[in-house]
Amino acid sequence: MLRERLTRHPAPALLRASVREALEPRATRPPWWTLWGAPAAAAVATALVMLLWIAPRLPSAPAGDPAQLVVRAVLAEHARNIFWGESRSDVVPAALPRAMEESGVALNWVFTGDDEIQLVNAKPTYLEGRRGIELTYQDSAGHTVTYVIVPGGNVALPERGREQIDRWRPVVRKENGFSLIIWRQQSLLCVLASDLVSDEDLGRFKQYFVKVRSSTEPYVTY
Amino acid sequence: MADDEFRQQALQHLDALHNLAVYLTRNGSEAEDLVQETYVRAMRFSHRFQPGTHLRAWLFQILRNTFLTFYRLRERESALSEDGVPEGEAPMFHDAPSRDSESAGAHMDLDRALTRLPEEFKTPLLLAEVEGLALEDVARIMDCPVGTVKSRIFRAKERLRGFLKDYEGNRPPRT
Repeated sequence: MLRERLTRHPAPALLRASVREALEPRATRPPWWTLWGAPAAAAVATALVMLLWIAPRLPSAPAGDPAQLVVRAVLAEHARNIFWGESRSDVVPAALPRAMEESGVALNWVFTGDDEIQLVNAKPTYLEGRRGIELTYQDSAGHTVTYVIVPGGNVALPERGREQIDRWRPVVRKENGFSLIIWRQQSLLCVLASDLVSDEDLGRFKQYFVKVRSSTEPYVTY
Repeated sequence: MADDEFRQQALQHLDALHNLAVYLTRNGSEAEDLVQETYVRAMRFSHRFQPGTHLRAWLFQILRNTFLTFYRLRERESALSEDGVPEGEAPMFHDAPSRDSESAGAHMDLDRALTRLPEEFKTPLLLAEVEGLALEDVARIMDCPVGTVKSRIFRAKERLRGFLKDYEGNRPPRT
């Protein structure tokens, strides 16, 4: 029987949780404070006491959300691209294989551009202890779009800030005057950064996201 | 049907939908996106669902239509060989059961063979043989007559046998 011989792929727990969350009727939910008010107040009080007790013993180096650390590093990289980046689409065919080899992130498919936006550079990158690949695009209006892909096995993306774009639900964020779209693709963390921040530009940025997301398939080689 | 009841019942079919999505997309993350999109659409159009009809079949139909609308455009099946069978590497299989190596090998062979089937053969085969749907329901999902479903399932099995024979021939002899 085919049924017994074929591998079954049950839904992963994360998918189950996100589907459940997506189906939750938001309008009928009771206000959060009616459910969580008392426990939240108790938790805050406990946390404050703990913080006062533990803070002096904590190391001074800033710790934080790994996704946020990567995002900040991507923004710094994006700013460097704007000011110092090379825009040489003619070197991409040579740069891309080298970038893949050195980054440990290979691309089954890659979006190389169309009439609106062009891939102009590819290089290996190292962000927050993660080796990855960085692709730079430039659109017809001269805006730079930086696309960074790094291993992100342990990085969880928050539900907050997620937006439905085409058939995906990435996190869309504005930070320090830049727009960011962040998503996970298999075990990789992908970040797209640009200076397209106005409502109209953001719509264009989301279109760029759809283009790279649907035509790029990265995977970790080691 | 009340929204809450609809939601609860729809969630019961999550595993089955994900299973079909994995075989259609051949990619774990895309399968998850496809399933999420299916549920979003199912909720959006829940008023169109007729109580008393087959919810499972209705969800499969949404999943297949979503797949065809969004994924087929760039489907790797565009790289078809002469007999219409897609070429390509084996997909990601993450939940292969741990069995002895020979049985696991046969298991993988069957999975690989199945991914080589075109969608119009693969979907009816999976729905009827794996998910146990009635042929009438499969026909509704596939939007074709029952006779066509029967013939596609027959042809799908024939092709699977052919592929499996190829794999068996290529497998190194056991020592």
